[in-house]
Amino acid sequence: MKSFPGVSGLVFNEELLSTQSSRGVSGISVPDAGFDDKHKKKKAEDYIGEKFIRKNDPELPEVSEPAVVRHFTRLSQWNICVDSAFYPLGSCTMKYNPKINEAAGSFDNIKNTHPLTPVKLTQPLLKILYDFDKILCALTGLDNFTLIPQAGAAGEFTGMKIIGKYFDIKKNEKRDKVLIPDSSHGTNPASSRIAGFIPVEVKTSGRGYIEPEELKKHLDGSVAALMITNPNTFGIFEKNIKELSELLHDNGSLLYMDGANFNAFIGNCGISGMGVDIIHLNLHKTFSTPHGGGGPGSGPVGVKKFLSKFLPVPYVKKENGLYVLKEDKEHTIGKIASFYGNFAVILKAYTYILSIGRQDISKVSEIAILNANYIKKRLQTAYKGSDPFPDELCMHECVFNDKELQLNGISTLELAKLLIDYGFHPPTVYFPKNIHGAIMIEPTETESLDTMDNFISVMVKIKTASKNSAIKAPKKTKVGRVNEVLANKKPVFR
Amino acid sequence: MKIQKGSYFAKTHEWISQERDNLYIMGISDFAQSELGDIVYIVLPGIEKTYKKGEKIGEVESVKSVSEIYAPVDLKIAGVNLNLNETPELINSDPYTSGYIAKIELLGAADTLDLMDADSYEAFISTIHD
Amino acid sequence: MRYIPNSENNIKKKIYKFLKIKNKDELFRRIARDILLLKPEDLSSVPDKMDESSIYRYFSKINDILPNVNNFSIFAGAGIYNHFVPAAVDSILSRSEFYTPYTPYQPEASQGTLTALFEFQSMLAEILSMDAVNASMYDGAESLAEAVLMSLRIASAPLGTLLSTPKRALKVLISDGVNPAYISVMKTYLQDLGIAIETVKLDKKTGLSDLNNLSLKLDEGVFSYVVQQPNFYGIIEDLAETEKIVHKNKNKTENTAINPLFIVCSSEPFSFGTINPPGYYNADIFAGEGNSFGNYMNYGGPLLGLFAAKKEFIRQMPGRIVGKTKDAKNNDAYVFILSTREQHIRRQEATSNICTNSSLNAVRAAVYLSLCSKSGFKDISLLNLKLAHLLCGKLQETGLFKLIYTGDFYNEFAMKIKNMEAAPFLDKMADKNILGGTIVGSNEILIAVTERNSIYDIDRYVENAVSILKPFK
Repeated sequence: MKSFPGVSGLVFNEELLSTQSSRGVSGISVPDAGFDDKHKKKKAEDYIGEKFIRKNDPELPEVSEPAVVRHFTRLSQWNICVDSAFYPLGSCTMKYNPKINEAAGSFDNIKNTHPLTPVKLTQPLLKILYDFDKILCALTGLDNFTLIPQAGAAGEFTGMKIIGKYFDIKKNEKRDKVLIPDSSHGTNPASSRIAGFIPVEVKTSGRGYIEPEELKKHLDGSVAALMITNPNTFGIFEKNIKELSELLHDNGSLLYMDGANFNAFIGNCGISGMGVDIIHLNLHKTFSTPHGGGGPGSGPVGVKKFLSKFLPVPYVKKENGLYVLKEDKEHTIGKIASFYGNFAVILKAYTYILSIGRQDISKVSEIAILNANYIKKRLQTAYKGSDPFPDELCMHECVFNDKELQLNGISTLELAKLLIDYGFHPPTVYFPKNIHGAIMIEPTETESLDTMDNFISVMVKIKTASKNSAIKAPKKTKVGRVNEVLANKKPVFR
Repeated sequence: MKIQKGSYFAKTHEWISQERDNLYIMGISDFAQSELGDIVYIVLPGIEKTYKKGEKIGEVESVKSVSEIYAPVDLKIAGVNLNLNETPELINSDPYTSGYIAKIELLGAADTLDLMDADSYEAFISTIHD
Repeated sequence: MRYIPNSENNIKKKIYKFLKIKNKDELFRRIARDILLLKPEDLSSVPDKMDESSIYRYFSKINDILPNVNNFSIFAGAGIYNHFVPAAVDSILSRSEFYTPYTPYQPEASQGTLTALFEFQSMLAEILSMDAVNASMYDGAESLAEAVLMSLRIASAPLGTLLSTPKRALKVLISDGVNPAYISVMKTYLQDLGIAIETVKLDKKTGLSDLNNLSLKLDEGVFSYVVQQPNFYGIIEDLAETEKIVHKNKNKTENTAINPLFIVCSSEPFSFGTINPPGYYNADIFAGEGNSFGNYMNYGGPLLGLFAAKKEFIRQMPGRIVGKTKDAKNNDAYVFILSTREQHIRRQEATSNICTNSSLNAVRAAVYLSLCSKSGFKDISLLNLKLAHLLCGKLQETGLFKLIYTGDFYNEFAMKIKNMEAAPFLDKMADKNILGGTIVGSNEILIAVTERNSIYDIDRYVENAVSILKPFK
């Protein structure tokens, strides 16, 4: 590939729909219920008390169907997405979202199934939940999963509640601390806190992982668990994980693994061998379901057998050949969602597994790791001083600091904005916090050498970009640099 | 980097400056505001409230960060700079005068304050500036 | 594997060789030391690889086994409602520009999603008559639990840091008319925080929350009261009177007193096209389920958590909020605002742990509500009410059903079946291709009606119910 993907095309202006209103216009077909004349004429006050009836109708825009379709089509063209561009957003695993997944989720009867339909009529749907649980058990080596948590953070919360309940019931002891490495996602401390724990920070060593000596400093009778992301947010495998697990277990504490980066392991490494007691996975990352511009996702939680009785309800059980929903766990943490979680997302993840099967699944993490290391090593030439872990192989992603960029006066933010004009979505920036001006690149297995080479050449070019062009970037997008200070000083939210 | 002579500084980058007798004004240093970037919001301390040295008395926020403001000494809040609610950017443009945060009364003796003078503070921030 | 663009040859010659690694075993051994790699037999419960046409056939078969949407009449609600989704919604949402990006962290490259979410917030603010709406939560249950946590932060702020050890017996009051699943989820969230949950009972006759019981229980430890509108049994609550009781101490200025917050939730916000919205009654926080707007039921998820509050509480809100601003050339632009509330900046001090939410479902709602427009929203809302009352009237006329509560209802109502248990009745109805409702008591069911149920469906319900129940009379 000789040219960069980012070129200027025709972009359409589009005002908010609320400014396109014409009185009396509507874009919906209201069904003709077939009322007789008597019923047709009836108004709300003929059925319910006058005092309840809304007098001021909500001011929704008054627009036709074509106006709505054109409006949102134009809006959509202002987004960069996985289908249009390389999207190496670190720790987000922006892999290709297979189209058969979407097709599987589009069958009319499946998407129109009410969750309280009698189970005898929904057997195939319950079977999907049942089988997918077993698939996740096989991939991780753990014993039971709940598929209810609706996102990664919901999985963390669920996991922390399970740990809380375990100490409550099983051991009848109160442990209120959860140890969390300084490189963790913000959701880890936030989820532990909301679940009733006090998060305590553990320092990562200069080599990019937690050393047993550091863990030992924190271990006492108040520690419920270590919540560790593996591979961590530097893309580095936690090399001491087995030893950390032994130290924790000797202390009566548990090991929770944030599986947001499970794409580095899938099909090749199980989790139980690492001494992990409990994990959450992100189906919208590793299992190829689309992220939807911010959600929905799905964050199943898996546990070893001794924690199974604390899993949330309901769960699917096979009884006399029939799949049923049960709520009979005595020590469950309770309900965590309105129904059974994000079924449509789980269905897409299940489809993904069917597409690759046990025959190809190990290629996913293998190629994801190879691609990340390819970028890491190739960038080391131009960004020599910026790799904090130059001698380590990374897993699914690699991280650079802003040292080399700073030599030329370019900031990480400016690098991100410049990348957009070349037609790439920027990597994750300024995270993890303990890498100065962090640039975190996760290519995933679904990108080609050509795309990566192209990206690498742009990264090299940007290093010597003029400050003037950096300040003004991006130039090719619908809007230029967004004024976030103004947005926050005088918030306008409707 | 402006460092106001005659003011006293805490390691957490608050400054105080005597107005008269026991009455001081306090704010955050030019160095602190420049590290934070554009300030978009402030949580001011409560009037008449007393705080021990090192206790959190408020917060300043930029777009992507939050910083706590600590009591540089044992103090009582005599008044706060209400202008900051509408124009928190005064802390960026004028941290030592119109961007002050509060007027305070010292609760301990003035000569036992464990704070840095302007020169020591300058030396102190040069060690942070890497 | 068709999702991997690098050829075997390139992988071997251009990557492995470049990295100076021999093969996969060495790669993993160098990274993961002594962690054993999975063996083929470890993966025996992972299914065989299927070709795409077989996968399509597999799901077609599942689709065929399930009740057929075109002749299965759904009269179940209880938190999720069977509204029609226009083709234009599916068409727009099938654009991968909407469904394949991540959260809009780079606003210049995500104006489409941000603008659509801003419109979602604006339209919901109108419908709910609330100041500030966020860019979505997971579902109604989680949204409500977060609302209670938020009310705890606000109401107990004068008491110092909360969520640490409780200074006194703090409690939340919840109407018994709130969806039982929501109450269960709330219990999960609150159970380790030393917060008590007490319920306000329903009036046995009307089905409205008993306001005398509310007054009685509203003591000084109460930091918020939660009521659902319309309530779980479909009944329209008297929120005007409720608000007076909850806010009775609002203007008293004692420093240490807790002013309880008034939280309204709903699982059917379509009702607010007909009845007064929560903002009309001075609700402090609204939390609910927005799945009714342009989203499928999808066997229970993903759903669309709605969250709104008065503007003075915006900095205590959970979740993402889109704001309007300008770009470098003074064009309108949109971006996430007040991010300092969130976990990626404030970590354990964040207002919530939520990160991924229901963004795409919110965009669906924005498209749907735009299509509805002002008149369509009102017309469909009213149609739901009329059809529900029609079915209710016809069932009462049979003499085989008795309306449990006398209070005014919207599109859902609870019925006592005179001579059969609920479970076998619904079972027999299902055999007739009718989802007749959901069980709320041994011989009590909850019936919901939407614009997807025509008069033909309603008549079919009545006829079949009569034929099932008559022989046992």
